[in-house]
Amino acid sequence: MYFHKKRCIAMLLAGGQGSRLKVLTEKTAKPAVPFGGKYRIIDFPLSNCVNSGIDTVGILTQYQPLELNEYIGNGQPWGLNKTHSCAQILPPYERHDKKNGWYKGTANAIYQNIDFVDRFDPDYVVVLSGDHIYKMDYAAMVAYHEKNEASCTIAVRDVPIEEAPRFGILNTNPDNSIYEFEEKPANPKSTNASMGIYVFNWKVLREALINDEEDPNSSNDFGKNIIPKMLAGGHKLMAYTFNGYWKDVGTIASLWEANMELLGKNPEFNIREDEKFKIYARNSALPSSYIDEGAKTVNCFIAEGSEVYGTVRHSIISVGCSVGEGALVEDSVIMPGVSIAPGAVVRHAIIGEGTQICRGAVVGGAFTPDEKKKISVTHKNAVVSAGSVLLPGEML
Amino acid sequence: MTIQGIIFANIYDSSLGELTNKRTMASLPYGGRYRQIDFTLSNMSNADIRRIGIISRYNYQSLMAHIGSGEEWDLELQDGGLEYLTPYAVSPNSGYRGKLEALYAAREYMAKGTEDSYVILADSSVLCNMDLNKVLEAHVASGRDMTVVAKEGVANGHKQLDLAMKLDENGQIADMAVDYVAPSEYLASMGMFIIEKRLLMELVENRVARNYYRFERDLILPMWQEKKLSVNVYCFDGVALFTESPEEYYTANLALLDKDVRDGLFRDRPIYTKVRDRVPTYYGENTNIDNCIVADGCVLEGNAKNSVLFRQVTLMEGAMVENSLIMNDSVIGENAELKCVILDKNVTVRPGAKLIGTLQNPIIIKRGEIV
Repeated sequence: MYFHKKRCIAMLLAGGQGSRLKVLTEKTAKPAVPFGGKYRIIDFPLSNCVNSGIDTVGILTQYQPLELNEYIGNGQPWGLNKTHSCAQILPPYERHDKKNGWYKGTANAIYQNIDFVDRFDPDYVVVLSGDHIYKMDYAAMVAYHEKNEASCTIAVRDVPIEEAPRFGILNTNPDNSIYEFEEKPANPKSTNASMGIYVFNWKVLREALINDEEDPNSSNDFGKNIIPKMLAGGHKLMAYTFNGYWKDVGTIASLWEANMELLGKNPEFNIREDEKFKIYARNSALPSSYIDEGAKTVNCFIAEGSEVYGTVRHSIISVGCSVGEGALVEDSVIMPGVSIAPGAVVRHAIIGEGTQICRGAVVGGAFTPDEKKKISVTHKNAVVSAGSVLLPGEML
Repeated sequence: MTIQGIIFANIYDSSLGELTNKRTMASLPYGGRYRQIDFTLSNMSNADIRRIGIISRYNYQSLMAHIGSGEEWDLELQDGGLEYLTPYAVSPNSGYRGKLEALYAAREYMAKGTEDSYVILADSSVLCNMDLNKVLEAHVASGRDMTVVAKEGVANGHKQLDLAMKLDENGQIADMAVDYVAPSEYLASMGMFIIEKRLLMELVENRVARNYYRFERDLILPMWQEKKLSVNVYCFDGVALFTESPEEYYTANLALLDKDVRDGLFRDRPIYTKVRDRVPTYYGENTNIDNCIVADGCVLEGNAKNSVLFRQVTLMEGAMVENSLIMNDSVIGENAELKCVILDKNVTVRPGAKLIGTLQNPIIIKRGEIV
């Protein structure tokens, strides 16, 4: 086979379980969790690649990959199915030397796929994770990396100092070069949080991965092992500041918030603007939506193929949903294919794909002040039976 | 048994006036997110028809931009798939006068595929979701030369039908007429025919050699009358919407407000269209949408009632749209008032503007205009 040499390819880490999303990731890998009415989380990094001119993406899967694999398919929705472009699913595999099986860590996942990367002989490899919601031009970051002649560039964002202990913090010199990496420091020296987006010179990374693999004490992780070792080895590492919207949707609360941040006249994350930086998604061939005379639709997203007869306020209604007469949906994320029967009430909830909420059922309730937000959640294809109640914060 | 499909893209273009000024009947936007041809193409694709020719005489740029390689309909294939039969490609004397001549010009294309194949011929002016395999089974079972798919309740004593048929009590054709303002007991042809390929080619050559060019008038009617062609009628009992005039087109869109019509067109089998990757529609704080079909990508701050809002429509605050079709990318300014209007694509309505048509005579605003 003939492979085009590529200046830059991307490796997308999509194998994590996302256990903090609880019932939502019981049977679905986190990157395949629905978002924003018609997307899946992975559509964001994948579309970012396409919009940044990166046409070769390796997708590393491990946990519950069926749905994710189906969703990616041949990469056609993102235009990654051409002769010299691809969205290649890279699952763990049995090796001839029997040395490896499952991906042990983020770095090991790339290590096991060195052959894939080598085929394209890339100058740069962008390493991404499949659980963040943002729009970013990776080409600008690669150009910055190239200009600074760095071995590795890490995207960072400023976080409030009190939140810094939750992140990997990069301490930098005035020229933005990194002198220290601290994973979740108790007493952070700065507020530059790593976004888990890396640009590497492939030659340098390749060697680092091989060396790391030989270290029996390593947990084969980018943040914990590769970056500190590269720093210790005297490589030039740069921080690339990104000021746009970015959200780690690894928890129920943050997933709910990120969905809500799409709403409003001037939303925090405006995916409506910028025709040239579209987010692509696999399409479901559904008709336009129908909004009945008795419906009330206030400050909400309603995706195609939905039929609304009731009231929807400050919510996301995904593709193929129905909201019956007299039903109320408020402050909620309704994932694809959900039916909400007449008279049912859904408040402060994330309703999993294909869930049926029967007549008169009540899911969730108002947030009480001074309390942690209590979001009710249902798993995929759940049934909330007629007249039953799912308490605030309860999961089904 | 294999079936090949032939779709005629611009049969009624001239009767739709400005709406088909720069597009074919086939590429006329419909129902928020579709083009009319999506229904015919999806019906064929859902019946596993894998060799489809689209005959288009002129104005086919928007049609080709919409369908492309046919990927969305699973018609981008190694063997078969879609082929555009435009005059330039098939005949040195460009243009043809009717479907009969068009088929004659397409005979080389028709010869591809298996020899014992059936052909389904379809216009782009009738919208339906039909199981074409069932039609083929009925055709074969009938033992007739040709099956005409027809619909009851369309003939009304006003509408001129291309081909009208009256059945006797045994379901046999008692009378057949072309270009006929038929009374209500007649069935209207849906412009869809099944016939064996070999026979079709033979008949087409026979007729064209005698300088005939219209399919219904010059082939079906006389040959049936002379008993050289036996004809079976397949009565379609599902939803079928005719769009052969601006009034019919307008009504066919508003018909989607009826749940039975929506179910009839979309429930049993998917209708595919070109993917646009628009965001979900945003409904603002003060919007009031009553009884409307709404496509994706709209931003709705104003009010709409009994209307169809196509993709990427912007409805500003205080605007009021009623009984109207608002096509893709149109912007309706603050406090504008629209009643019984068809806005073609990309129209801008200035703030406070007022356009009032009637249900019988909707106002049509041309593509790209500013009013």
